[in-house]
Amino acid sequence: MKKTIQLSINRQPCTIAVEPHQTLLDMLRDELGMTGTKRGCDKGDCGTCTVLVNNKPINACLYLAVRADGKEILTVEGMETDEGLHPLQKAFLEKGAVQCGFCTPGMLMASVSLLDGKKNPTEEEVKQAISGNLCRCTGYTHIVEAVVSATKKRGEKF
Amino acid sequence: MALPRFQYHEPTSLAEACQMIQEYGETAALLAGGTDLLVKMKNRELRPQNIVSLVELEEIKQISVTGRHTSIGACCTISQIADSEAIRSVFPALSSGAEHLGSPAVRNLGTIGGNVVTASPAADLPPALAAYGTKARLKQGEQERFLSLDQIFRGPGATHIRKDEILADLHLKKPPKCSGAGFFKLGHRNALQCSIINGACYIALDPQTGKIEKARIILGAVAPTLVRASSAEKLLMGEKPGKELFLEAGMAAVGDCNPIDDLRGSAEYRRDMIQVLTSRTLHTSLNEIRKSIART
Repeated sequence: MKKTIQLSINRQPCTIAVEPHQTLLDMLRDELGMTGTKRGCDKGDCGTCTVLVNNKPINACLYLAVRADGKEILTVEGMETDEGLHPLQKAFLEKGAVQCGFCTPGMLMASVSLLDGKKNPTEEEVKQAISGNLCRCTGYTHIVEAVVSATKKRGEKF
Repeated sequence: MALPRFQYHEPTSLAEACQMIQEYGETAALLAGGTDLLVKMKNRELRPQNIVSLVELEEIKQISVTGRHTSIGACCTISQIADSEAIRSVFPALSSGAEHLGSPAVRNLGTIGGNVVTASPAADLPPALAAYGTKARLKQGEQERFLSLDQIFRGPGATHIRKDEILADLHLKKPPKCSGAGFFKLGHRNALQCSIINGACYIALDPQTGKIEKARIILGAVAPTLVRASSAEKLLMGEKPGKELFLEAGMAAVGDCNPIDDLRGSAEYRRDMIQVLTSRTLHTSLNEIRKSIART
């Protein structure tokens, strides 16, 4: 039986009826057409479905949609603001941190939560933050560089 | 892969959750973090028709410290434990276990209760919990009982918790002054890694003589359940801590285990590592004692 939940997705209120067996990932991709969040291993090992729930990164493939009732969700689609791309997204472009791009949304979500929590994360802390996100193209070096450079560049309100 | 269909139930209290699992019996499964249950359901290893969700039960989501007694609710997330100063300052080996578990996103979902009841021989929290002498409080309706963490496991995926019982919280006593503990985890990589072996050691010294008066050595992924290395513990009792003694204890611990060959490592490699890492973790425990003495 479907359950109606009310939540905020990328700062917009949303009311939606979901089946208990739908995960947050199923809901985002299949019900709302928000395909920025990727489906990889579908069992919490690859991190490409990472989204923020109440500012914390979680694997959307292991989170039942019904649990999102009353929560604030942030996905990669919500990173861009009226002023354009998020500084992290810009840094990913500048540093060549994107190759095939499949891991990128998860990498961005895992690192945005780090930047929100820590003023000046060290390289080690950046590696820790993305330790649950697999990338098979870049060898991670450019991704770590991008996150570190974004933290250095960010302005006051970031 | 999509999850199989089920009915979803959200009890508002632990008592109501107990009633529900009584009512649904074999068709029910308890949901905490979902990092294990949902994967097994996607793989069609489990097909519960009724899911009773414990995730929103505030009464089992708290870490509370009263005097020398700490209680950790079964639905505390692994992150909550890793980030807790109350846990880090008194139970550093447990903090270390939590920090090494899975990935940040998995730690934000997974719970301490789930890590225990799943009963994986390689689980990261049970060794430290058992080393600190933790007791699990199990609720069944109005009744409750306590089980010691080193006696809770029956085999891979199996515990002595009955079908109609719910793990409510974990109870730890603040260790005495001259005591210390450490945790180790050996894996092929640092994140999202099922341990090749893991374990925790706890030693307490007699403040007068400086000799070991209590020792607990708990090893994981070396047998179907957690192993208490009792011959190694016996060897330590009444002795002064030191390099030679810890080496011998490491060797004795190997005899207490029954490791297997699997994808992650051979039995022979595991035996070698039990020796090295037990001895090393005893040193960690001793260093903890020295640090705590230096602080006072």
